[in-house]
Amino acid sequence: MAKTSPFSSDGGTLEPALRDLTQPLIDHAEGQLFLNEAFKIIVEEVLRKGTDAEEKVCEWREPESLALLLDLQLRDTGESQDRLLQRVRDVAKYSIKTSHPHFFNQQFGGVDYHSLAGRFLTEALNTNLFTYEVAPVFVLMETEVLKALRQLVGWTDGDGIFCPGGSTSNMYAMNLARYKLFPEVKTKGLWALPRLAIFSSPGSHYSVQKGASYLGFGTDSVILVKVDDGGRMIPEDLDAKIELAKSQGFVPLLVSCTSGTTVLGSFDPLDCIADVCDKHQLWMHVDAAWGGSVLFSKQHRHLMKGVERAKSVSWNPHKMLLAGLQCSAFLLQDTTNLLKRCNCANASYLFQQDKFYDVNLDIGDKSVQCSRKVDCLKLWLMWKAVGSTGLEHRVDKAFLHVRYLLEQMKKRDGFQLVSTQPEFVNVCFWFIPPSLRGKEGNADYQDKLAKVAPVIKERMMKEGTMMVGYQPLGDLGNFFRVTVFSPHICHKDMDFFLDEIERLGKCL
Amino acid sequence: MTDKQVTGQGPEAGFRHLSKCCPAVRDGPALKEPPVEMSAAERFIHEAMEVIIDEAVKKATDVQEKVCEWQSPEKLRELLDLELKDGGESDSKILQHCKNAIRYSVKTSHPRFFNQLFAGLEPYSMVASFITEAVKTSLYTYEVAPVFTLMEDAVLKKMMELIGWDEGGDGIFNPGGSMSNMYAVNLARYRFCPDIKEVGLYNAPRLVMFTSQEGHYSISKAAALLGLGTKNVYAVPSDDRGKMIPSALEEKIELARSEGAVPFFVNATAGTTVFGAFDPVDEIADICERHSLWLHVDACWGGAALVSNQHKHLLKGIHRADSVAWNPHKMLMACLQCSAFLIKDKTSLLQRCHSAKASYLFQQDKFYDVSYDTGDKSVQCSRKPDAFKFWLMWKALGSSELERRVDRALAMARYLAQTFKKREGFHLLMEPEYSNVCFWYVPPALRGLPDGPELWRKLHTVAPVIKERMMKTGSMMIGYQTHGDKPNFFRMVVINPQVSKQDLDFVLDEIHSLGKDLR
Repeated sequence: MAKTSPFSSDGGTLEPALRDLTQPLIDHAEGQLFLNEAFKIIVEEVLRKGTDAEEKVCEWREPESLALLLDLQLRDTGESQDRLLQRVRDVAKYSIKTSHPHFFNQQFGGVDYHSLAGRFLTEALNTNLFTYEVAPVFVLMETEVLKALRQLVGWTDGDGIFCPGGSTSNMYAMNLARYKLFPEVKTKGLWALPRLAIFSSPGSHYSVQKGASYLGFGTDSVILVKVDDGGRMIPEDLDAKIELAKSQGFVPLLVSCTSGTTVLGSFDPLDCIADVCDKHQLWMHVDAAWGGSVLFSKQHRHLMKGVERAKSVSWNPHKMLLAGLQCSAFLLQDTTNLLKRCNCANASYLFQQDKFYDVNLDIGDKSVQCSRKVDCLKLWLMWKAVGSTGLEHRVDKAFLHVRYLLEQMKKRDGFQLVSTQPEFVNVCFWFIPPSLRGKEGNADYQDKLAKVAPVIKERMMKEGTMMVGYQPLGDLGNFFRVTVFSPHICHKDMDFFLDEIERLGKCL
Repeated sequence: MTDKQVTGQGPEAGFRHLSKCCPAVRDGPALKEPPVEMSAAERFIHEAMEVIIDEAVKKATDVQEKVCEWQSPEKLRELLDLELKDGGESDSKILQHCKNAIRYSVKTSHPRFFNQLFAGLEPYSMVASFITEAVKTSLYTYEVAPVFTLMEDAVLKKMMELIGWDEGGDGIFNPGGSMSNMYAVNLARYRFCPDIKEVGLYNAPRLVMFTSQEGHYSISKAAALLGLGTKNVYAVPSDDRGKMIPSALEEKIELARSEGAVPFFVNATAGTTVFGAFDPVDEIADICERHSLWLHVDACWGGAALVSNQHKHLLKGIHRADSVAWNPHKMLMACLQCSAFLIKDKTSLLQRCHSAKASYLFQQDKFYDVSYDTGDKSVQCSRKPDAFKFWLMWKALGSSELERRVDRALAMARYLAQTFKKREGFHLLMEPEYSNVCFWYVPPALRGLPDGPELWRKLHTVAPVIKERMMKTGSMMIGYQTHGDKPNFFRMVVINPQVSKQDLDFVLDEIHSLGKDLR
């Protein structure tokens, strides 16, 4: 700016509106009353009914009719508290009960009350995690939680940050790998770089593709490595694909391994992949958004053997651990401040260097976001309440549940597993209605089978009895994927699940 | 009972029964029975809510209480007992952790918190936040988020109406305005050359974007993350009020062209972070049209003026933008985060640019209209239903009350500016255009010094010391910064409708009393 005197400013005129400024415009007493009433509804409708196996999982309405019911339009004038409380009830009624014991639709579900208290508290405190100045408690807490998660990975030191979802974490990994190899990319862009290649498996999460296009690599730079029949990346093929890419003029950058693929729940063999990464000097990233929680379990952490050799790990405690959306940790082995160097912009209005405390605590410049939500409190509070041992029990119990479910499926007709030996808590299966049994040889068998799951899904949602996801995969037709991990479910719920599939699908 | 092994041995044996409410604690060996004991769980959540209402809502908004309870990081680490252990802790301990977290957190809803571009407590939005947390869903399909999908659509439509896009458009809520600005860059790039999605930037010409020197740093972060490079962000000079100079933009565009680079994107800022300046959108739009460039308006901060008939002229021409970022979590006081990204396009550009067509989420053979599955428009996978926080408060207050709040925030800024002129030792940097009031406090010992390097050097150290003192007393919080070669100055922003004139008078008195001995 021009070197004008700091004191040069001319006068203005006082406005009549100013006389209204002597009183507050807002009365918190009324707001607090509403808060109390709304809280009662949340407890009754969302928490009590929403977790009651006797109640419905969802109250299906077509979009057009739901839009009418909700009276969505925003108007000039405000509404009475009574009407607003009715709206709260409507939201509760027509929302999916993701904590219901018969909700098997996504990789989140169930409710943890300590975590929920942490979430309510986070919302009430309404702050931003960029400086120690405005979030002293949470800056320290995030550091502690990240440290504890890193210890489970097997790192004594390192760095990390909570991101708005695992996709963002995976993109951070790509960005860091690129910056580490070619720091000039930050200022000059990809034009200064050779063509880079990223390796992943077909079962990996789609955020690898999204990241590649978002970060300017292009999806063509993602090279898919073959998997074995359990959906695990084949290290030998990775090695071959890297060689091939090199011969085509690519510079191999990063391998994105998956611990717990979305559909099959497969774990890539990290130790063998790490050998290949060492050999070719590639950044090894582990997308453990879904599977990371096995690290709590002495019995099952072998699934991620070798994870300590990774450069970075994504891990979403909002999935299997029930921390509540969103809770996504991005963990780094690096101790050279790579994250900050890669992402910083040194905003002078936020990250002043002449503050009266250690400005290294102003962690916000490690992020590509500016305002960033506090996602650590919910996990920290839950972890404090149940301890690592309690979390370990949850993980172990989920595996036991899956074993039970598999046993029951074997006892029944019509349930055919996609992968006969599920590694994790995903169970993928076709339900074969009586009319199709024994007709595997028919030409239209696959087409007919692929139509079964969507119809059963429609029926279950319209009746509101349960929710489970389905999808095709490669050349496999639609099959169900049930994920079993909520600590609220018991054998009875799994029996119900199987009965219900049979009931809804038997006449197809 | 197996509970004990899991919960560890705390001294609060009397409260042990409460720990039953945690499902994991009660997991036990029996897998056959449902482990849920809702009455105990409810008891805990009720107790937690009582603590939250008393300490994080009532006390936090009480002007008699402190804004912050400063502790050094070392001391605070001890006080919080952060370590995570194998055993669990009793519920009474967990509630104590909640109380500690509240006590040592900054009360951003306190009437003396002026530190950021968010402030105050909006109970209706907070209720919506609580519902969001309890309902716990992700906004990617109509299947799992029917209500919030429709609400997001309704809120976006209304915001587009205020922008002046009569034909509608498209949009999405993002985790923060920086993300929205990055979306704009990515969409502009994709429209310019759709192949980039597959083949990357390698064969593309060097792409250049423009923003004013006052623009938010997220434009630079976007350039770095998206592989465009920060050097390809050309900073356009602003005038002495912080507004982009359109002729300078034109010159920079010509400069880029003469270098063989290809301009594709202009970011205009409506409400800059420090000065609250509004770039002349209409004139910038003329230039963008002439050069066929994507015009994005970063109205994260200034967008709120669109709800005010008196002040919306500040954003004149915004309807000509290709995209707009607007954060209702700032002046309109929706709970964090609530950031809308809006685009004028009606050809599914957002979806085409970002989609990956995950077969496990976006099945095309669903039994309802899959155009309601909006998740593939995002680069995220799980996404929070942030629009609801704005929808419920808007329903409660109506547009007219939102307008009153914005008008009041701007009136407060004018009042503050007037007061500075009357008080000795307070100097405005410039008349506020919006609600940012930037000023120096000059302690008595410096008032006689002639304008020059010595005064500036000494003045530079004043704001940091006053800031330290206000935080250590806990009386209030105001941000400070340098700007160009200007010495440290304070930036006051009055958003909170709970704040009245008396609070502002208090602020000035307090600054003087904290800083009068400085020399």
